[in-house]
Amino acid sequence: MAESVKRSIRVGNCSGFYGDRLSAMREMLEGGPLDVLTGDYLAELTMLILGKDTMRDPSLGYAKTFLAQAADCLALALEKGVRLVSNAGGLNPAGLAQALDALGTGARIAYVDGDDVRGHLEDFPDALTANAYLGGFGIARALAAGADVVVTGRVTDAAVVMGPAIWWHDWDRGDHDRLAGAVVAGHVIECGTQATGGNFAGLFDAIDAGLVEDPAQPFGFPIAEIAADGSTVITKHAGTGGLVTVDTLTAQLFYEIQGSTYLNPDVTTDLTSISLRQLARDRVEISGTRGSEPPARLKVAVNRLGGWRNQVEFVLTGLDIERKAELLRAQVEAALPDLQRSWSTWRAPAPDSPTEEGAAVLQRLTVWSSDEAAVGRAFTGPAIELVLASYAGFHVTAPPGKASAYGVYTPTYVDRELVHHTVHLPDGTTEVIA
Amino acid sequence: MSATARPLGDLVYARSGDKGGDANIGLWIPAGRPDAAVDWLLTTVTVDWVRTLLPEAAELEIDLVPLPNLRGINIVIHGILGAGVAEGVRFDPQAKALGEWLRSRYVVIPDALVESGISQ
Repeated sequence: MAESVKRSIRVGNCSGFYGDRLSAMREMLEGGPLDVLTGDYLAELTMLILGKDTMRDPSLGYAKTFLAQAADCLALALEKGVRLVSNAGGLNPAGLAQALDALGTGARIAYVDGDDVRGHLEDFPDALTANAYLGGFGIARALAAGADVVVTGRVTDAAVVMGPAIWWHDWDRGDHDRLAGAVVAGHVIECGTQATGGNFAGLFDAIDAGLVEDPAQPFGFPIAEIAADGSTVITKHAGTGGLVTVDTLTAQLFYEIQGSTYLNPDVTTDLTSISLRQLARDRVEISGTRGSEPPARLKVAVNRLGGWRNQVEFVLTGLDIERKAELLRAQVEAALPDLQRSWSTWRAPAPDSPTEEGAAVLQRLTVWSSDEAAVGRAFTGPAIELVLASYAGFHVTAPPGKASAYGVYTPTYVDRELVHHTVHLPDGTTEVIA
Repeated sequence: MSATARPLGDLVYARSGDKGGDANIGLWIPAGRPDAAVDWLLTTVTVDWVRTLLPEAAELEIDLVPLPNLRGINIVIHGILGAGVAEGVRFDPQAKALGEWLRSRYVVIPDALVESGISQ
């Protein structure tokens, strides 16, 4: 007897980074049918930003824009029966869950944590943030328990899409090909409009071919229709801007990948197995994806405060630009001999420019130090003192600024036993995901 | 077969991004271009080719990962975005436009491949 096959789950994305289009959650809920709406809010750099937030106020540490979006849209999502899944919890998923609950919509909120491994890494005693990348099974468990909203800490970008597919199709850990299919779907839509014409080298060819009616219309966010066998159709809501083609998907498949396999905590995906096919306008099928056992250890993103940085941008104009730059460098070298520095590179403008800007180049000087004061006034003072004492036409693009802290990101790996992937269900109970 | 020095982007699309201190650039032949263009790309891209076109990668470790099913090849340049204390000092610290820079470099491309055009 043939088993009944459940229809595809329709998973949308409304955020590719912390700072993406705020109105996207509403656009995706109003634009057409969805089962789950997801968002990625955590880049490598974002964890550092959230880490700095928690240094100021420990009750923060999550993506505040998601809370703002939920305040606007959660009631609408409940009304439409669309569940929300995002990694906006950042360093404080419990805090975000509490803030969501306080919105008073009656939504059943779950959160996933256990990714924070600070204190478990002997090599990084000074880590500001250290988060293991978790997979999608905690999210799937929360959805099965009836959660309307699931917020997580550092799960993989693809996990927010894979989790809903695991729940919907009731996959288990051995379903490697299906899980790999969902990872690919997740990787394609995790960066929002990068799958629908944004940051796309072929955009002008597509416009010239008549595939984009109005390039100024905001690009629609992507949707993955994930089938029971793990194959997926990528599309977007009708009437939105941008386009979905084999090439917009190829672009995103190449984004931030390394080898011929793509590692996730739940499955290893063979990137050489993926097959793309244009089914119709703005509908592309992804099929053939093969998966295998996941890696034994989990990846951890470690952010440390690296030091302090500052910069000044000098303007070089008109004749003798190379000699002006040479003089500037020699003068700065003499005034600040001990500072670590980097000079930007440029090419001299074409002669006889009809505009002043066209006759100029920007020479940026970046300095860094473990000592905040050394790259504060102690740096900008001597640099600005050159205003009347250097090359002809000396000026800078901005007033001297303060030093800013910068982070150093290091990936590392930990044994799974050190990580307690935990889901906190809407009824208040807690489960550890094996 | 005639060939002309022209921007790589006349034939090839790209997307670049970062992973820690490493950058990657995916290069591929768009849909509608002939398979011969894919063959040209996969045989043309070598570590030395990357080092020549992107001089700041000359001293760095480079991996090439052909993905013929996606009609392209992935280039991983290790350490180009800096590591340790100098992290983030490079212009374009997340390698967002590294691919567009590479597409603007001139390479000799067989005219027949470019002239076949894109039939979307």
